[in-house]
Amino acid sequence: MSKTHIVLVIVIALVVGLVISQFTGMSTSVGFQEAFANPGKEFKISGTLDRSRPVDYQPLVDVEATVFYMADANNEVQKVILRKAKPTGLEQSETIDLYGTVIDGEFHASDILMKCPSKYNEHNHSLETADANAR
Amino acid sequence: MNEIEYVGEWLWAAHIGRFLVALGFAAALAGFFGYLKGSLGKGDAAWIKFGRRAFIVHAISFFLVIALVYVLIFNHRYEFQYVWKHLNDAMPINFQISCFWGGQEGGFLLWMFWHIVLALVLIRTAGKWEGTVMTIFTAVQAFLASMLLGVYFGDYQFGLDPFLLMREATANINLPWTRNAEYLSMPQFTDGQGLNPLLQNYWMVIHPPTLFLGFASTLVPFAFAVAGLWKKEFIEWMRPATPWSFFSVMILGTGILMGGAWAYEALSFGGFWAWDPVENSSLVPWLMLVGGAHLLMVNRVRLTSVFTTLLLIMGTFIMIVYSTFLTKSGILGDTSVHSFVDSGILPQLLVYLLTFAGMGAIMMIGNLRERWLYTGLFLAMLLVGIFAAPLEMVVLFCIVIAWLFIRAYRKYIPKPQVEEALWSREFWMFIGSIVLLVSALQITAQTSIAVFNKLLEPFAGTFTSLHESTGSDFFKSLSEHNFAPSKDIDQAYHLWQIPLAFLFITLIATTQYLKYKDTPVKQFLGKIARPFAAAAILLVILLMSFDFEAREFPRVALLFATIFAFTANFDYLISIAKGKWDKSGASIAHIGFALLIFGAVISTAQKDIISRNQIGDISALNEELNNREDILLMQNDTLPMGDYFISYRDRYTEGIHVRFMIDYFERVPREFEQGEVVYFNEMFFEAKEAHTAGRTISEHLESHWLFIPIPNQRHANEATRWTNGHAGEFLFTLEPRIQLNEQMGNSPEPDTRHYWNKDLYTHLRWARLTPPETDENGFLGGRAHDVHVGDSVLVSNIMVSIDSLTAVLPQEKEKYALLEQDLAVKIHMTLRERDRTRPIEPLYIVRDSLIVPDMVEIDDWGLRFLVNQFSPVDQTINLTIWEHESIRRDFIVMQAVIFPQINVLWIGCIIMIIGTTLAIRHRYKLSRKQKNA
Repeated sequence: MSKTHIVLVIVIALVVGLVISQFTGMSTSVGFQEAFANPGKEFKISGTLDRSRPVDYQPLVDVEATVFYMADANNEVQKVILRKAKPTGLEQSETIDLYGTVIDGEFHASDILMKCPSKYNEHNHSLETADANAR
Repeated sequence: MNEIEYVGEWLWAAHIGRFLVALGFAAALAGFFGYLKGSLGKGDAAWIKFGRRAFIVHAISFFLVIALVYVLIFNHRYEFQYVWKHLNDAMPINFQISCFWGGQEGGFLLWMFWHIVLALVLIRTAGKWEGTVMTIFTAVQAFLASMLLGVYFGDYQFGLDPFLLMREATANINLPWTRNAEYLSMPQFTDGQGLNPLLQNYWMVIHPPTLFLGFASTLVPFAFAVAGLWKKEFIEWMRPATPWSFFSVMILGTGILMGGAWAYEALSFGGFWAWDPVENSSLVPWLMLVGGAHLLMVNRVRLTSVFTTLLLIMGTFIMIVYSTFLTKSGILGDTSVHSFVDSGILPQLLVYLLTFAGMGAIMMIGNLRERWLYTGLFLAMLLVGIFAAPLEMVVLFCIVIAWLFIRAYRKYIPKPQVEEALWSREFWMFIGSIVLLVSALQITAQTSIAVFNKLLEPFAGTFTSLHESTGSDFFKSLSEHNFAPSKDIDQAYHLWQIPLAFLFITLIATTQYLKYKDTPVKQFLGKIARPFAAAAILLVILLMSFDFEAREFPRVALLFATIFAFTANFDYLISIAKGKWDKSGASIAHIGFALLIFGAVISTAQKDIISRNQIGDISALNEELNNREDILLMQNDTLPMGDYFISYRDRYTEGIHVRFMIDYFERVPREFEQGEVVYFNEMFFEAKEAHTAGRTISEHLESHWLFIPIPNQRHANEATRWTNGHAGEFLFTLEPRIQLNEQMGNSPEPDTRHYWNKDLYTHLRWARLTPPETDENGFLGGRAHDVHVGDSVLVSNIMVSIDSLTAVLPQEKEKYALLEQDLAVKIHMTLRERDRTRPIEPLYIVRDSLIVPDMVEIDDWGLRFLVNQFSPVDQTINLTIWEHESIRRDFIVMQAVIFPQINVLWIGCIIMIIGTTLAIRHRYKLSRKQKNA
């Protein structure tokens, strides 16, 4: 066996290891139901902000606690305690991804990703108001 | 319905623009046809000439298209959707220029622009390669031009029309205003939406053009590679492709680093590299290109790894297209902080990607009949994909491509007669490229999770039955195809990338000391001994100046590799290249790269969030989920933070920005004497010896302090609160700001203080931008407190202390306008603020078992009190205090991070660019010399 082949074998072994570690090391995105069924385990949950209830952020009480309600993909609404200062654009967000754990019956999120209306967004909200004005 | 004559539209511009796009598209197709015919067989100069002319038409058409878009932008023609979306009247001229590439259409145009410029250079310089190379270029241009056609086939949108009028946009069709002939005078069309606040930054002017030139330049080596395969000249194409590859390495690298600088300087991501899919997707082709370009160089001297060279060079361009696909198709969706929405061109981008991937693979097959066979197979798969089973076809396509590569490797690509020796330069250069390839693969795998989820969809049933028969959870998760990227960057990227980078950078240090063919090992070891020793000494110094934890061993190893690469290349520069410019390019570029990685690793690994735990809160240290990284700053309060004292002075508005002035003062550390008693978090400590306060008490808790479990009277009398010092001399003011944007949300922008050896980076996490709600008298929503006698409450700057309780005596009742049967308690309180005090006495009145509220308003103090409840059993007073808006103090929530030695990163960038430029110059000279010889 030549050296090139040895290298190839090593590389293939590396790539196989990589793929397996990838798929086992990743978190999976679930709904609230599964997160509440497995307290203490970290999950990613995607959903939308429940705009019918206020986002509560009181920096004077706790700088890093933002409380809001989110509906997951199955439309289950749960209270979420985000362990961060209130992110800008939370109210404008279209979808939210939370990384967090259920502790004592509450979902504590340590990280948040938001999809906001931005440069790549082809929908626009102001046109709906434009339409309302035109009528 | 009658045609409506719309008033004030530049309809002619839309007509001309669309005509030019169509003409440019047709000209690209004609050019492709001409160049293709001219290059088949022995070649046909007349067809080449035809192709060239068609390409000139294409070039002129698209230059005019770009000029026309700018005319529309500069004239603020808001009837055009593209202008309306990316421009507004408030934007200064530099953002008017840069809003051109604010959207996908402009991005494609910019990309095409650079392709055209590069192609015009190639037409003049490529000589005999013109026909074949330009065939590829015109094919790519035809694909890109088709993305701008904006024609509909039924419901299917083919391309995005940059000249689309607002009233023609799908979202607006049939809205009432589109039937208003004078819609342009409506208020919403007198101004546009404007660029996203994140993009209104000077980096937006310079980063995208550079990055797109980088993207465009990867097409040149790709085209040469395909041309080489086409003409079965497996080595000759490498000569002209080498300088182009290094040019591309430099420009693409610069573009990526500019993106990092942008993220660092202007965005609140908290660093310069976030492993975001968007960043990754341009890093991956760069890594592959670096590998490919170095192999090109090796092959110039010795035919070695032609297959790997082809794989890397062609892979680079394919990964560029793939990155466009990822970022523009909307498929990343919810896995990226950058937000992308499907704009309807996903299928078109996918076909573009697969066409060129397929073409590259087919060209690797040296047999004409087989080529036609596989082309036919791909076309059949395309048809099935369009009409029936797209996902299955994509998977099948990938399998066929992999098979083609294996087949080409075994049968068609020339291999060296003799195997490379173990101690030869070419063998280790090959290993280096393989390391880069694995690194690129790993990043791609992480970035493409959304794609994998999609591709797993059709096989969900298969995996479910596999799960049922084997019981393996792995198959279950495959069948659910809802993988999410791990948010733990160490686990997702660093775990793999740090060891790979270590290998790679060690090769940067050592490979140049190896000779082609073979090297005597002793000689090699002798040469690297000196730089290795120097690196070891520098590492010891590094370990003495920074604290690393044991688990950070891989990082330290990587830092050592970068230092070694630095010393080795420096040594090489002095002793072997002897300062000759022509020979120094590589060493200088390698020194720059080593410094870059060193700066990146050390500033990230040793970053210090100094806004965290500003006073050293011991009780909070064990708390779960404690990721306190933010500091709350009341206006005019001075707080310790890291090695500073800071004070939030004031805010002011400037244009679209609200700036917050944060003053920084020197910290004068407190000196403790031996035996001095302090308290902290209700715990008492005695100093074991005289010492100077550290940042937090926990720093010296074990070494200098003795815990007093049961404090005696002396302790209680003498103790002072532990502080780390007081504010000294004023140093500077930082002004992190918030950019106001009603439509897209406000966006915070950091402010950074640069030192030669570190940066102090600060950004706002939260600030009140709308006035708080008050009642008609100007009082804010009150807050209830449960207090006892002896307690005090801080409201704004005022200390409210509860002194005592007394019952209201019968003879006093008249004075307080109380009735005979009333029971009342007087609560004696004192208000204190700096140099004034004032006693107050709100009453708690019970009349016939009902509470009579006694609201006490203290006008000149701006406070209002009400005793809601008094429980005689445990003497608890429930008290609501309202503060008036006039005394309310503003506050902000801020984060501050120290990035040590980050300047090494930027210096490394510049050195790398200089070195690469020198190397390109040298390669270009060589390439001319060989051509003339």
